[in-house]
Amino acid sequence: MIRRTRTCFWIIAWLFVLSGCLRGPLAWQRVTLNQPLSEEDVSFVVNGKTSLSEVVEQLGAPNQMLSSNGGVVARYQFTDGKYFRVDFGWGLRFLSPFYSPDLVLGGGGSGADLFQITYNDRWIVQDHGFAFHSQLSEFRLWPFQD
Amino acid sequence: MNPTFHKNGGSSYVKHSVFAMTTWVVFMFVLESGCAFVRGNYGEDLNQGDISTIKKGVSTRAEVAAILGAPDRIVEANGRDIFHYYHYDVKSGYVIIFSRTNIKSDDIFVIFNSAGVVEDVVAGKKKPPLEFQFWPFD
Repeated sequence: MIRRTRTCFWIIAWLFVLSGCLRGPLAWQRVTLNQPLSEEDVSFVVNGKTSLSEVVEQLGAPNQMLSSNGGVVARYQFTDGKYFRVDFGWGLRFLSPFYSPDLVLGGGGSGADLFQITYNDRWIVQDHGFAFHSQLSEFRLWPFQD
Repeated sequence: MNPTFHKNGGSSYVKHSVFAMTTWVVFMFVLESGCAFVRGNYGEDLNQGDISTIKKGVSTRAEVAAILGAPDRIVEANGRDIFHYYHYDVKSGYVIIFSRTNIKSDDIFVIFNSAGVVEDVVAGKKKPPLEFQFWPFD
């Protein structure tokens, strides 16, 4: 009886180790790019008054500078991505180590908060605005809903 | 390991071995899932000293290229050329079933006037270093 239990244990232990499934049955993953900016952080920006150097002093260098009609657009970006997965077939490998299909449900999303400033020829802020989309990122279990 | 047999003998042994096996299974699950801390970067981390040697109204496009190297991107905007240098730093933590990857970008823009002389250098304070994190919910 003892021998049988031990053998059983070692078989299960080795199946765990040799299963090659370095990923577990569950995963929560998140990726972020840069730090979020809030309305308060940019409250000092006044159209027609604030200069590029003042903005850079407070917020740092932008992530992008683009050409726009009659000016230059500078963009600060915070991106947030979330992903969740569950593999319902993960346990099958202990019953059938040579063939264990993945039965995965999962989903996620990513969104970006964007702060955009347009500068005129003299590097004075012409207009500025926020777009908040980072809330769109979410851990999602059920991938079939619309 | 020698099992101890009490009054109820076999049943106690079975309970004991089931507990031990469950513990080992959980332990192996944790071991197998494992953990990882990974670090990466893209692009050259430009030296603040080098940046300060660029003089507005004096340094030319060739001098900037000699000091900072070729830019990662050149943007043409409003009749000016803008050299864009960027550096990305990545720190990723993975513990059992949770993972978090943080990416930080440091950008520097050098703006040239139509004569090819530096008009402005857009480089903010260096951002604080990234943290290794694995908890994805905050």
